[in-house]
Order: sequence, then C-alpha cells, then structure tokens
Amino acid sequence: MARLMSRRGFLMTGAALGGTALVAAVGGVGYLATVDVDGLDGFLDGDRAVLNAFLTIHDDGRVVINVPRAEMGQGIHTGLAMVVAEELELPFDDRIRVEFPTEAHPAYSTWFNVFQVRPEEASGPVVWAGRRVLGLLGFISTGASSSTMSLWHPMRVAGASARQMLIDAGAARLGVPASALVTRDGFVRHEASGRSLSYGELAAAAATLPPPADPVLKQRADWRLIGTRQQRVDLPAKVRGEPVYGMDVVLPDMLHAAIRHAPVFGARVSRIRNEADIRAEAGVLDVVIINERQVAIVAGSWWQAEQAAWQLDVAWAATADDATSSADLSRRIHAALDVAQPYEILDAGDAATIIDANAQSLVEATYEAPFVAHACMEPVNATVIVRDDGSAEAWVPSQGPVNIRVGVGTGAGWAGVEVASVISHVTMSGGAFGRRSDLDVVAQTAFLAARHRGRPVKLIWSREEDISRGLFRSHAAARLRMALGPDGLPLAYDAVVATQSVIQSVASRNLPFNPGPDGDRLAVEGLDKLHYALPARRVRSQDVASHMPIGLWRSNGYSFNTFFTESFIDECALAAGKDPIAYRRALLRERPRHLAVLDRVAELAGWGNAMAPGRGRGVAIEECYRSVVAQIAEVTVADDGEVRVDRIFCAIDAGLVINPDQVIAQIQGGALFGATSALMSEITVQSGAVVETNFHDFPIQRLANAPEVIVSIVESNEPPCGVGEPGVVPAAAAIANAIFAATGRRLRSLPLAVTETIGERRTRTVLAD
Amino acid sequence: MVAFTVNETPANVSVDPSKPLLWVLREDLGILGPKYGCGVAQCGACRVLIDGVSTPSCVMPVGSIAGASIVTVEGLADAQGNLSIVQQAWIEEQVPQCGFCQPGFLIAVTDLLRQNPNPTDAEIDAAITNICRCGTYPRIRRAIHRAAGTISQS
Repeated sequence: MARLMSRRGFLMTGAALGGTALVAAVGGVGYLATVDVDGLDGFLDGDRAVLNAFLTIHDDGRVVINVPRAEMGQGIHTGLAMVVAEELELPFDDRIRVEFPTEAHPAYSTWFNVFQVRPEEASGPVVWAGRRVLGLLGFISTGASSSTMSLWHPMRVAGASARQMLIDAGAARLGVPASALVTRDGFVRHEASGRSLSYGELAAAAATLPPPADPVLKQRADWRLIGTRQQRVDLPAKVRGEPVYGMDVVLPDMLHAAIRHAPVFGARVSRIRNEADIRAEAGVLDVVIINERQVAIVAGSWWQAEQAAWQLDVAWAATADDATSSADLSRRIHAALDVAQPYEILDAGDAATIIDANAQSLVEATYEAPFVAHACMEPVNATVIVRDDGSAEAWVPSQGPVNIRVGVGTGAGWAGVEVASVISHVTMSGGAFGRRSDLDVVAQTAFLAARHRGRPVKLIWSREEDISRGLFRSHAAARLRMALGPDGLPLAYDAVVATQSVIQSVASRNLPFNPGPDGDRLAVEGLDKLHYALPARRVRSQDVASHMPIGLWRSNGYSFNTFFTESFIDECALAAGKDPIAYRRALLRERPRHLAVLDRVAELAGWGNAMAPGRGRGVAIEECYRSVVAQIAEVTVADDGEVRVDRIFCAIDAGLVINPDQVIAQIQGGALFGATSALMSEITVQSGAVVETNFHDFPIQRLANAPEVIVSIVESNEPPCGVGEPGVVPAAAAIANAIFAATGRRLRSLPLAVTETIGERRTRTVLAD
Repeated sequence: MVAFTVNETPANVSVDPSKPLLWVLREDLGILGPKYGCGVAQCGACRVLIDGVSTPSCVMPVGSIAGASIVTVEGLADAQGNLSIVQQAWIEEQVPQCGFCQPGFLIAVTDLLRQNPNPTDAEIDAAITNICRCGTYPRIRRAIHRAAGTISQS
C-alpha cells in the first residue's frame, strides 16, 4: 500500500510526539489538540482516498466508515456511521459500508473504559499521556456500554474535518473561495454558478490536504440524520443468512478443532487414557493437551473433531475443589458478610453510629444472586493462522483486537513459537454480553495454529463447553441496613456485598499484572445509591475467592446490586408505609433527571390503577452507564404458583439519542435478558463441576413466555449515554417487587422462580414453596 | 453417497450418513446460513425446510434425507434476490440484533405462515420455539403479524 502525503508517520515519531505533549502539558490543551497526531490526516491507496482514520471515499463514490467497536447486536455500526454521515452531509444509503478496521490506530483507543471520561471531556497532560499509552498499546475493546459515548465526538470531528477538506479541494478545483461553497447529499456545490462536484471526484485531492485545525461541527438545529429512525446497515446481510460471524469463517486448507476442559476448574490433565483410539478416529489429525489444562482434537471437519472429543477419556488431576458444591459456595459467601472489616468503599456521615442509635427503626435484609452464564447464541470460537515467518492472522467474534493480539501471542507462546505480528479481524459476534472480552479461546486456537503452522485452525467450543466450562457472572450476597427517621425517610444506609472480584479474575487470565480484588468497582456498582438522598451512607465489599472463573457479564455488579438495593428500597417504603414510587420520589427530590424518568415510567404503566387479584406491579430505577433507567414490571401469579411477567414498561434518559429505534431495541432486549436472568438463570456446582450444560437445563425465555416491553425515551440535554446494558439493570428488582405486590411474598434470592419443563421446548416458571 | 437438493440445486455428498445435515450444509456444501447453536434441537438456529417442513438440522442424519428438497435461509429470497415476505417484514420491523438465531426464526416462521397464513398470538407461541438471547421477541411477533398482513393482501 503506497502512502502518499501522509503526515502520520512523521507525527508519530518521538520528536514530534514530545513537542505536542509539551504543548498539551503547558497549555492544558484538550482533545482537539491531540487529534492531528491521531490520524485525522489522509493518504491515497489505489482508487481509495483515506481522509482520516474513520473515513475512506472511493473514486466511484462508495464510502467506507471505520467503526472500531464490535457489532454484537447493539446497532453501533449504524449509529456511529450516522454520526459521520451527518457531519459529512452524506446520504445514509447503501453506498456506505461499515468496517471494523484491522489497523490498531491510536484514535480508536477505548480510553473511556479506563478513565471513565469521554474524550471531549478530558483535558490536561495526565489524561493526554494516558491516551498516548493506550494508543500505543492498541487498547481497543468494546464494552461498558461505552461505544457511542466514547466515539460519538471523535467521529463527529472526523466527519466535519473531512467535509472541510472536501470543500477546500472543491474551492481549488472550481477556483472560488471555500466560503462560497456548501455541501449537501454527497456533493460540494457552488450555489452562485450552480456547479457541483461529487465527493468521489474530490476525495483524492481532499485526502492530500491538511486537516482543519478546528473543524466546525454542525449545529443541532441543522441535523438531518441524528435523532431519526434509520435502518441498520447490517440487517440485509443478516436476514439473507450471509456468513458474517466468526463461526462462518472459511479459509483455504483450514483445520477444525474441538476442545474439552476440565470439569473442575483448575484441574490439570494427568493423561489421556485412550489417546491411541482417538487418533484412529475418522478425520482426526492431532490430539493435544493445551497449557496442561485442556484437551483439543484437530480434524478435517469440526463434526469429526467433536465426535472424537465425545469419546475422550481423560484422567484429570485432583484439585482442592473436587468436593465443592453450590451449598458450600453459598455458605462461604454468606459467611463473608460477617467478616470484621470488609474493604471500605465509601463512608460518609457516620452511618454506623446512626444505625446503632436507631435499632428500633432499622430495616435489614440479606439478598443473594447465583452464578450465571452468558449463553451467547454463537458458541465461543476463533480462527487463527500462524505462518513460518512469525506472522499471524486471526478472525474472531471478539469484543476487541487487544484481546485477539494478546491471545495469539499467549497461545503461540505455549507452543514455543514467538509471533512477530498479528493482524486481527474482528468479525460480527452472535451475541457477546462480556463473554468475548476474554482471550481464552484465542490463545487456545493460537496454540493449535502454532503447532500446525501455515494452516488456519478454527476452534469451536461445543454448547456444552460454552455453558459449563466457560466464564460466569459471580454469585453475590449483600446485607443492607437502613435506619429510618420518624417520617419514614432514611437516616443512614449501610451496605456490604460479598462477591468474587471480576476484575481480579479477568486480570489473572488477560493481563500481565493483577490489581487485586479490593476496591473492584465492578463488584460494588449499583450499591452506593448516590442519586438517593441518604444523609449518611457506608458501602463495603468483601472478596470471596472460588475456583470458578469469573468474566464480564452484561451490566456486571449492577446485575445483582441493583436487584439487592432496589428490592431493599421497596422494603424500606413498606416499613415507612409509603407507596414505592412516592417513596423513591422523596429520595430523588433533588434529582430532576431521575424524577423525569420515574414519572415517565409511572405514567406509561398506569401506576396506581387497580389490578386484578394475583397480579402486581413493581418498580426499580438506576443510574448506570451515565443513563438513568426505570422499569415497571407487571406480573401474574396463578394459584399454583406459576409466575408470568406480562409486560415491562421502561423509561430511559440516555442522553442524546442518535438512532432512537435502536435505543428502543437495546432496552427491549436488555429487559428480556434481565427477565430471563431474574426468573430462570442459575449455574450450580456439584463435586466441583458445573451441572448445567445446554439450553434444556440453562433455559432462556422463548416467545411464549417473553413479556411485551414498552419503551419511552425521555428527552435529554446530556451527550450520548450508554444503552447496551441499562435495560438489564432494573429488571430483576422490578419483577421481584411486582411479585411482592401480587402475593405479599418478598423474594430475596435469584432466580426468583423454578423453571419447569412442560413439553418439548416449553417451560413455565413457578414460585418455590 | 447421499443425493438431495438444496435451494433447488442438486447436491451429492459422500459422507458418513450419520453426519447431521447441519454440518453437511456448513462443511461439505459451504452453506453457512444455518447456524450451530446447541446441537440438541433446543434453540432452532439450525432450522431448515425439509420438503417444506421446518426441522432442526443439527439432529437430522444426512442419510435420512436422501431425495429431499432442502431450503435454507439463503433460499428464501427469489432467484432475482428479492427478499421473501417474511424477510422483508424482518427488515421493516428491524428485528435482528446480533442476528445469529434469525436464520432459524425466518425458516420456522416461513413454515408457520405456509400452514397458517394469519396466526393468533397463541398460535405463534405454540409454533415458534426458537431461542433468541438478544431478546428480539417483541419485534419477531410484530414482524410475523406484518408478514401475515402482507400475505392477506397478496
């Protein structure tokens, strides 16, 4: 690839980098001062003109928009492409193609997830230096509902910058001042003369111009695309069944692999008792132990490899957890609530003293949530080739190329092969929910590819491996206490949660360092209730180690802490003799943004309208991923205990909304993900091993038991906030509170019901006696 | 040797007759629309039409479908590439999120509407048992009704 007129190589050198850093350090310059070193300058490559890191225009008018975040269902490839098209004045039609770039460009870094600030909010040398470090590390990942939050501004700037470059190129071509030109529908127009030039005609000239120092963004009143319903760019291929997922990757001369992990996590392979027999199975080319802990079969087809894997007879070494059961793990986690000094997250207002002084008015409750699996529809898989020259290439349905690159190096290293370079192809993911931010399957596949250099290897975990040998959301328990004043309103709040640190578990597999379990913000998110008016509060956490591998899971700590706390707020409202909405309104009296969301959902659901016996409504609200989200669930509990969620109403302030239909889709899907988890999901352990293996014993709601979800978006002046996870967050508490309203039974453990099979692929959920 | 047709094209495969149709389609014929989701006929991602009937292909030995006519998601559009009524409804309602399960839903719904061009919600619940982990069910239901409406007008 010939690079012409590129300033990027020059600007990335040490001297220039130091110079810009100095400017930033002295002037406290923010994001815009750093964009010019981050690739908003162009180059030419054949018939394509690369205007900047996010935008390529071909001679024939086709446009490629780079979205360096994984499309796993969220619709971000559409929403973020809309942002560029808006600023560029480009029609949003099928001439636009969206790609996940293979280049790990610094401008793509996911620094929001590390620093918790949007790029445009940041300033100063510390954040700037962090940005450089992450950029040089190629830290690009998808998660924490941050894709739109973290890229919306950089991609606006990219679109506006390219638009100015096209105008400048048009001015030179037409011999008129740039100020006499306008852009519209993919053309630069000279209104006075009626002449116009298409972006395709101008792109090559524009790409060689310097980007504007301070590109002018469109005014909100001039937006044509943002805020309108646009069809997703990925759906035509998806409804035609085109091969867009990692599992669909087919390469010449490809080998296929199946795998078996130890039933008890951490166990090593002692020996394969029937290795000779397995090697004689049809199509089997290789039987190998990976990193002492798994056994892989490599064959000419996956079906052959998987058939052989079923025949494996592996002796696993004993571990300290060979007798551990769910009951043991539950006992351990409840015992942790009683440790003398849990790690202190927050202590404001001397909550302990106030609580001791108000024993008569104390509300106290203990809650629990189980381990749960991700169960993405596309089982975990990866495809890797390692060549003799040390180069490697990988195709993975992954949440980020950083996991792919590190995973390939790790796995090849197990085979004693040093990889010099990795090209990472992030394919579409058939669901992810946090599961695909781990390097596990990439490393395993790279190990196999390093043994079979020159041939691509595709490893697919069977559904049984995916559910029972994978990563889990940690179990958790919490003890919550609230001292109430004479008016029933809180005086002091005291929360302690016991759970296994997700950050520590993730770091142990993926990072060269481990921050340790204490202060894991993903373990305590949803616990502090900072949006509620609580005169004093104390929040503490206790890590509870286990042999179970913990992974990121859609909404992490919120998925249990919001169930705990929003159930508990209902218990406080009951003790105070107040309506659950009225009680929350009192606690949110200084939070207009939250009140607007709460009032909207109450209106949507007809809160206060009478319901038939056996039916009930429950509410929950949370602030998460910078959004404010509230849900009201309606349930029906039959005389025999069968519980159905009939409808879930949801209101969300997600800040500025780019593609409202897809925000609604995410909240609908999130609510259903949350409802399945609340009623059905539980991973259990016997003799150290996970019991559940497939959808018959790890059930998911189907059409027959999925509620209708009605979503209302609250207008907002905030910039875009997260929407991928918030829909999940209030669901469990809203459903538990609705069951209380219907039955008077307060359920404090997830799942709330027992799932019964009532026919082929049919289930119902029943409250336990 | 097993002979059958896939999307109106003759296929002839020499494989173990116990190999599931799903893996014959994906590995031997390069037809990747039908997906592996569970391998035990629970999730429906692998559904194809076998002589018009929606069937989980992950548990169907290829040896048992000799002479059959198979239609996969790739075969739902017409020869000119125009989307079927069901696929069009899926676009109009913007149903898929990750989309991995949708080939199976499109097949199952195509079969349902052939048998019952205007199903009630209860009939939809009884007939469509596929799993979607993203939670697109409300839109799937709307898309089925939309497709039924289109059929009734045609």
